[in-house]
Amino acid sequence: MLRTNFLGLELKNPVIIAAGPWNRDGRSLHKSIAAGAGAVVTESIVSDTMLDVRPRIACDSNGAQNIRLYSDIQVEGWEREMNIAKHDGGIVIASISAHTPSELAYLASKMEKFGADAIEISVSNPMMESLEVVASHAGTVFDMTKEVVSSVKLPVIVKLSQNTTNISKVAKAVKAAGGSGVSAINTVRGILGVDVESAVPVLSTYGGISGQYIRPLGLASVATIAQTVDIPICGIGGISEAKHVLEYMMLGASCVQIGTSVMLEGRKIVGEIVSDIEKWMDSHDISSVGQLKNKALKNLKSFDEMKIEPAVSTAQSAPCTENCDKCIVSCLYGAIYREGAEVKVRSENCTGCGLCTFVCPAGKLRLDW
Amino acid sequence: MNIKQIAKTAGVSVATVSRVLNHPETVAPKTREKIQKVIEDAEYKPNWFAQGLNFNKTRTIGLVIPHLLNSTYMEVAKGVEDVAKQKGYITFMCNAEKDHKSEKNYIDQLLTRCVDGIILMFSSLDPDEIRAVEERGVPVVLIGENKDASGFNSVKVDCQTGAESIVKQMIDNGHSTIGILYGDDPEEESKALLRGYKKALEKAGINIREEYMRPVENTIEGGYLGARKLMMGKPPEAIFATGDEIAYGAMDAIKDNGLKVPDDMAVAGFGNARMSNLVEPKLTTVEIPFHKMGIYGARLLFDLIEDTGKGDKEIRQITLRTRLRIRKSCGHKERIGEMF
Repeated sequence: MLRTNFLGLELKNPVIIAAGPWNRDGRSLHKSIAAGAGAVVTESIVSDTMLDVRPRIACDSNGAQNIRLYSDIQVEGWEREMNIAKHDGGIVIASISAHTPSELAYLASKMEKFGADAIEISVSNPMMESLEVVASHAGTVFDMTKEVVSSVKLPVIVKLSQNTTNISKVAKAVKAAGGSGVSAINTVRGILGVDVESAVPVLSTYGGISGQYIRPLGLASVATIAQTVDIPICGIGGISEAKHVLEYMMLGASCVQIGTSVMLEGRKIVGEIVSDIEKWMDSHDISSVGQLKNKALKNLKSFDEMKIEPAVSTAQSAPCTENCDKCIVSCLYGAIYREGAEVKVRSENCTGCGLCTFVCPAGKLRLDW
Repeated sequence: MNIKQIAKTAGVSVATVSRVLNHPETVAPKTREKIQKVIEDAEYKPNWFAQGLNFNKTRTIGLVIPHLLNSTYMEVAKGVEDVAKQKGYITFMCNAEKDHKSEKNYIDQLLTRCVDGIILMFSSLDPDEIRAVEERGVPVVLIGENKDASGFNSVKVDCQTGAESIVKQMIDNGHSTIGILYGDDPEEESKALLRGYKKALEKAGINIREEYMRPVENTIEGGYLGARKLMMGKPPEAIFATGDEIAYGAMDAIKDNGLKVPDDMAVAGFGNARMSNLVEPKLTTVEIPFHKMGIYGARLLFDLIEDTGKGDKEIRQITLRTRLRIRKSCGHKERIGEMF
């Protein structure tokens, strides 16, 4: 039931392990395949390897920041690594990163020769770039995609960045250039924090933020592309449980990629997520993942389409035993008050903003009319 | 010890030992190291001539460089060697001393030594002369443009865009009179730099003024004299030098004229030579990916050498991009894009 077709590749499930150091060579890719991923993406392969900076990865409870994570294996070595990765099957997508169309085309054709199943062009890393990442320019992305597409027979995906003013435009450029799909989103430029005692940022330069921090951005990007461009999408950003996969797919993704969670929780998380998706689908009588796609998209409306209903907050059950008063403190319109053990709403003051329905830890408030 | 004994000692097949000797990149690092240790311990030396006869390959490539003392050429050469080494090839390096006759002579020498391929760096050869080498069955790859490289497998750098972006940066920083000190070596790239300079000014609607354009020698002295000359009339607010060495000379001349870089006159170079980060003020410049040029040059050559005839014979030309390095000599206070 989890089988899905993405760009002509038969994935046994829609969960792909994203590009990153956990997929840095043949052995680690093989482990990722063995962990049950639908496909795996290599750490980004570059024209010329560079010495890694130390330290280069930081994290907190909401996500991670990295400064430059590229493959330290030269192109030539990937022939061997690709063989090791695929020695008992599995789908390997080669992630390539460079700054000119001819370089990318060269890398892509090498990876095709070495046995990769697809190419992911990664020109959206926010590290070691100028403030404008390559992928923020639709014209550049078009030129790069076109040259890669014309030099390989494999499907070509372009990994897009949120660091752009109009992600649809870039996705359209990919389609116009003959790209088979897009993946969205790459990490977002950021600084995870500062050690205030020493006045030192957690990592020594701006980096790419991943994990929970960026999931809402990823979801919005996927939905935006799905609503505007007819191109297969692979959703990326902050996935750590089955629910997140369902969210991405319901908003238009055909499959997803997981990176930070694999880094922090280990590859076993893939198997757990896959089996949870299966259970959820079972309990909801959904027989194929294809049925999930776009399911929530029709409920994502523009302002024009929204009907304004006279909804106000109503307390669902009394008495309130939580006694946290969070709803009262956070009500912007002074509509919620306590009367003894009961929480009540002055409906004439309530404007139906909906905040209290998210604030209440017991879910006792609901909008109604 | 012979190859069979090496294989036995290492506990692998003869084929694997052979792969370590001939295609080391195809053997897993652990196995490779184990076999290499046995080879080392036994002081085993494969017969180079026999190998050549066997595979019809000498596992050597030729690299002709324009000048030995120029450190940037050395960076390119390092890139070539890094790939050659991985492939198990020896690189013969010839120093042409920027002399056409000497370059031709070296190529002849390389051909008589039966090299498997030749890389020419900023070659002074005409297309017909290069084609004559190819016609002898030895693949050629060009690195850098000196003469017309179209029609050959080559690696070049998009110098025009690089020049345009640094001059644009100067304009964005508020400079409206920008001088250029342009060298003539390498020929084609120098022309591209001048085109980039003019294009940036044209796009900004700034008149191109002859008195602000000075041809100079590609040396510190050339830069010094050129800048002195530029400052004789009404000096420009900024100077773009088409080479870092020219820029060092220009900065020296500006100081000698009692002016300060960048407050009185901003200076930017081209190339990002090692020294550009050490001079004071540190030089704003455009980085050329020299090492990568070498790497791609070698990759293209090995693709041709290993081409079994089945692959497409299409000519592959790799264009690399430059990158701004904004430092103190120009635009540092106003930098908006290039901070990484």
